[in-house]
Amino acid sequence: MTPASKRYLPPEALARIGRLELRARTVVDGVLAGMHKSPYKGNSVEFLQHREYTPGDDLRRVDWKVWGRQDRLYIKEFEDETSLRLFLLVDGSASMDYRPPRFDQAPGLTKFDYAATLAASLGWLGLSQGDAVGCNVFDDRVRTSVPARTSRSHLGSIVGCLEQPRQRQPSDFRSVFRSVGETLPRRGLVVIFSDLFGDRNDLAKGLQLLRQRGHDLAIFHVLDDDELDFPFDGPTRFEGLELPEELTCNPRALRTGYLEAVEAFLSDVRGRAAAARCDYQLVRTGQPVDAALVNFLARRSRIRN
Amino acid sequence: MPTFDFTSLLWWGLPLAAAPVVIHLINLLRHRVVDWAAMEFLLASQRKYRTQILLKQLLLLLLRILAIAGLVAMLAQPRWTSALTSLLGGRRTIHVVLLDDSFSMGETFADAGGETTAFSRGRRMVERLLEELAATPGRHELSLGRFSRLAAATDNTAPADGTTTPESADLPPETPQDSESQQLFDLRGELVTPQNLARLRQAVGDCRLSAFAAGPTAAVRAAAAVFAGHDGGGAIWLVTDLRSRDWLAAEDTVAALEQLAAVGIDIHLVDAAAETDEPATTTDPSPRPNLAIEQLEMVGGVPASDVLLPWEVTVRNLGPEPVRDVPLVIREDESERPGVQLDQILPGDSTVARFESRFPNAGGHFVEVELPVDRLVADNRRTAAVEVVDEADVLIIAAAPAVDSSVDDAFYLATALDPGAAAATGLRPRIEPPRALATLELDRFDSVWLVDVPRLDATEIEPLENYARRGGGVVFFTGPATQPELVNQTLFRDGSGIFPAPLADAVDLLTDQRNPDAPDVVAEDHPVVAILRGRRNPFLDAVRIDRYMAIQRSYQPPPDSGLRRLLSLRNQAPLAIEKPFGEGLAVVILTTAAPTWNSWARNNPSWVVVMLELEGQLARLRRRRENLLVGEPLTLSLTPGVDRIDVEFLLPPDGLLVRRTAEITAAGGLQAQLTETATPGGYTARWQTVTGEPLERVAAFNVNPAESALQRIAQPQLARLMAGVPYRYERADQLEPDSTSRGGSSLVRPLLVLLLVILLAEQLLGYLVSYHPRRRHG
Repeated sequence: MTPASKRYLPPEALARIGRLELRARTVVDGVLAGMHKSPYKGNSVEFLQHREYTPGDDLRRVDWKVWGRQDRLYIKEFEDETSLRLFLLVDGSASMDYRPPRFDQAPGLTKFDYAATLAASLGWLGLSQGDAVGCNVFDDRVRTSVPARTSRSHLGSIVGCLEQPRQRQPSDFRSVFRSVGETLPRRGLVVIFSDLFGDRNDLAKGLQLLRQRGHDLAIFHVLDDDELDFPFDGPTRFEGLELPEELTCNPRALRTGYLEAVEAFLSDVRGRAAAARCDYQLVRTGQPVDAALVNFLARRSRIRN
Repeated sequence: MPTFDFTSLLWWGLPLAAAPVVIHLINLLRHRVVDWAAMEFLLASQRKYRTQILLKQLLLLLLRILAIAGLVAMLAQPRWTSALTSLLGGRRTIHVVLLDDSFSMGETFADAGGETTAFSRGRRMVERLLEELAATPGRHELSLGRFSRLAAATDNTAPADGTTTPESADLPPETPQDSESQQLFDLRGELVTPQNLARLRQAVGDCRLSAFAAGPTAAVRAAAAVFAGHDGGGAIWLVTDLRSRDWLAAEDTVAALEQLAAVGIDIHLVDAAAETDEPATTTDPSPRPNLAIEQLEMVGGVPASDVLLPWEVTVRNLGPEPVRDVPLVIREDESERPGVQLDQILPGDSTVARFESRFPNAGGHFVEVELPVDRLVADNRRTAAVEVVDEADVLIIAAAPAVDSSVDDAFYLATALDPGAAAATGLRPRIEPPRALATLELDRFDSVWLVDVPRLDATEIEPLENYARRGGGVVFFTGPATQPELVNQTLFRDGSGIFPAPLADAVDLLTDQRNPDAPDVVAEDHPVVAILRGRRNPFLDAVRIDRYMAIQRSYQPPPDSGLRRLLSLRNQAPLAIEKPFGEGLAVVILTTAAPTWNSWARNNPSWVVVMLELEGQLARLRRRRENLLVGEPLTLSLTPGVDRIDVEFLLPPDGLLVRRTAEITAAGGLQAQLTETATPGGYTARWQTVTGEPLERVAAFNVNPAESALQRIAQPQLARLMAGVPYRYERADQLEPDSTSRGGSSLVRPLLVLLLVILLAEQLLGYLVSYHPRRRHG
C-alpha cells in the first residue's frame, strides 16, 4: 500500500454513507484534494494538427497564416472545444447484487453499490469541470437513462437514475450497447461499470458497436473479492444469482479449478477489451473507490498525453 | 486368522466405523447457502474436477472408516492364530496349575501393593492366568491342585514300619487311592471361558494355605495323570517357593517333569517367594530370617495334678544373623503365664528354654509356646498335650508278697515310686500277680514293672509285649526266683521277645583285690542316669552289688537291636540294659529290687532317683505319641463293652465339634478316628463309658519344623537339577503370562503401525482434498 493510498476511503467506511450523492461527493473531494491539477483542464483549446481543407469544412477553421505563406488551405484542428461528454453505463443485472457473507460482520459495498458510487463520483468529477454527464442503468436492456447535461445540479438526476429500483435481469451487452450507441447524440467517453458476467461474444460485439460510433470506451470491471479469491470453507450450496443452477460442494476442493476459470475469464475479457481499444480496469470491491478513480484518471491522462 | 480377546468390544465398537459416513451426511445437510454470481466458473471447475474429487472423497471416507475400525480392533486385542490352529478350531490345551500350599508359602513380603505372602502371590498369578486363558482363543482346560492334597493322594512311599519321610510326614487327612487322586484337584479339567471365569476365580480364591509340608513330587505325578492320553498342547505351572528342602533332592520331581516335557508339555516354574528387589532371573539362596519352635516336650516328671512338670522348648534360628532376647509366650490351657526369654540364638543353631507347669486338676491340658511374629508365622507356635491324672498308675507284677518285707522287691520298688506325702511323685503303684497282665487294661498304666517273676505264660506275655509295642515301658528285675532258661525261652526268644538279652545264671560279684574301693556300679551315658554321671556321686558309689544275673557271654546283639546300657558293674558286666521294642521300651535290671542281692534300695537316695527317672523315661515314650504332626489321623482306642462308641472331637482353634462313631477293627478292637487334623493346635476327644462315666483324651498337632527353613535353591543348582528338562523360570510377582503360550501372537503392534499409516494417509489426503482449514495471516 502506497502512502497516498492511506488517504483513500475504504469501502467499509464508504458503505456507512447512506446517500449515493454524498458518497460520490466525498469520493471526489478526496480525489481532488490529492491532485495538483485536473487532467481535463485546457484540453479542449489545445492545438491538435493541420489538415488540408476539404469542401464542406468550416471556413472559420482555415488557417489563413498558412494560406498566406504557402497559398494552400489548411484547416486547424483543435481538441474538442466543447466540454467532455461522459456517458456512464452501469450494469444493474442480478449478478451485481452479490452479497458476500462477510457483510454479516461488517457492512460493505456490493458490486452494484461500488459501481454506482464509482459512476456517481466520476460523474460529479465531470460536472465539476463543466463536462456533460449522462447515465444509463441496464441489464438486458437500458432500464433507466439520464441524458448528458453540464449543470452541476445534474448530479441529482444521475444519482436518481442509479437509485432507481432495478429489474435484475441477466445482462445483454450487445443489445444494450447497440441501443446506447444509437441513442447517444454525440461522441463521448462511454464508461462501463459491470462485472461483465454474460455472453462474452455479445460483450465484444457491443463494444465494437460503440467503438464504431466513435465513442471512447472505458470499462470498470467490478468484481467482488470473494469472486476473485474464492475464500469459502465448509460444505456450501451455491445458488446462481443469474443462472438457474445450484451446486453443493466442498468449496476448497473446487477452488483451484474456479480460480483457473476466473483467470481465463479475466484474460479473455482483457483481450476483448483491448481489441475494442477499450480502457479496461479491474477493480475489486475491497479496493477504495477513490483509489480506483485516481488510477482511472491517471491512466486517462497518460493516454491523452 | 485373527481372533480377538475382547470380542464384545469389537461388536460394540465396529458400528462406530460408520461415523464418518454419518458425519459426512450430516455435513451435507448442514451446509450454508450462498447466492453466487460467478456460477459459471464454479460449474466449470466442478465439471473439470468432479471425478477426481469424488474419488478422493471416497478414499478419504474409506480411510476414516478404516481408522476407526482399526482403533476398535486394536482395543479388542487382536491375535493371530496359525492356519493349523484355525483348522483344528477347538483343539484342547490342557493347563495344570500346581499350587504349593506348604506353610513355608506363608512367608511374608513387602510388595508394592502392601504386605503379602508367597501363597497370595501364587494365587494372584493363577487368577491372571485364568483371565489370560479366558481371553485366548481355543479350548483351554485348567486343572488346579495343591501340593498338600495331591501329596496325600499319591503318597505311597511311607515305610511300612511307621516312620515317615519328610514329605509324607504330615500329610493331610485324606489318603485315598491313586485312582481317586484326580478328585483331589480343586479344579479338574475346567473349561476356561469368560462365562465361567468368575466361578473359577472364586475357586482359586477359596484355596487356603495349609499347615503341611508337602513337596512337589507327588503333585507333579498327579499332574502327569491329567495329561495321560492327551496329544495336544499343554502346560504345567508349578507355583512354588523353591525351598532347598524340596528341590535340592528333587530327582523324582525332575524325572516326572522330564517325562512331561518329552511329550511336549511346557513347564513353567513360577517362583512365588522371590524378594521384591531380587533380580528377575535368579534366586537368592541365602538363608532368610526365621525363628521356629522345633520341639515342645515334657521332660520327666509324672503328669499328675499339682505336680511340677518340667518342660523344654527348643527354638531354632534359621536365619543368617544371631538373634537376641527372644521372648517366649507360654500359655497353659489358653491362659497366659509368665514367659521366658532366650538370651541369644546363633545362626543355624537352636537353644533350649526350660520352664515348669503345674495343673491343679486332672484331665487333658494343653501347653502352648509362641514366638514373636516374624516372616513365617506358622512355625511360631507349638502346642503340647498332657493328660494329667490325679495319680499315675504304675503296675508292679510280683509273684507273691514276701513274708519278710526286707526281701520284698515290690515293696521297695513301690516305695521308691511313691515315697509318700512328703514327696509327691504323682505315681500310684499297684502290685498285682502275673495273671493281672492278662486281665488288666495295660494301656492305662504309665509303666509295667516285673520284679523277680519266676515265670510268665503266653497269655501274660502277649499283652505285655503288645503293651510295649504300642509304646509302653516294661522293666524287669531279676532275682533268686528268676529262671534264666525259662526267661530265655519265653521272653527273650532268640531276640524276638521283649526281654533284652539272654540270661546265663546268677553269679556273685567278686571283690576286686587290686582296687577294693572301686564302686560296684558305673553309670553309663544314658539320660536316666545322667544325673548321676559326670562327677563322682557318693550315693551311687555307696551301692554294693553282691550278686547279679549274668548275660550269656557268647551273646552278641545284632547291630540294629538298639541295645543300650544304663548301668554297668565294675567288672564291665551290664547291670541295666534297655532294648527298644516296637514303639516302646524294655529295660532289665540284672539284680534284685529289694536289698537281697545288693544294698541299693537300702537307704540310698540314688535308688529312688534312678527309679523315678526310669519311670519318667518310660512314660515319656507314651506321651510323645500324643504330640503329632498335622494331617496324621487321631486314633482313639476304646474298650469294647466298656466304652460307648460315640465320640466327640473338639477341634482347634475354636472348638469345632466333630462327632465320630467308633468301629470294630480287624483285630477286634474298637477305634474312633478323626482325620480332620489339618489345623495345628490342641484336639480333645470326649466319650463316655457305658456306665455314663465321662472320659477325655487330648492330643496336640503341630507343623513339621523341617518346613521352617526358608532357604531357597540357587538358580545354578536348579539349572543343574533340571538339566535336560526344558523349563521356563518365572516370577509370580512379575509374571505376565506369555501370549505365545496361548496359541496366538498379538496383532496390537502391527495394527498400531497400520493405524498410524492410515491416519497419516488420511491427513495427507485431507490436505490434498483441501479439507484442511486455510492458514489465515494477520
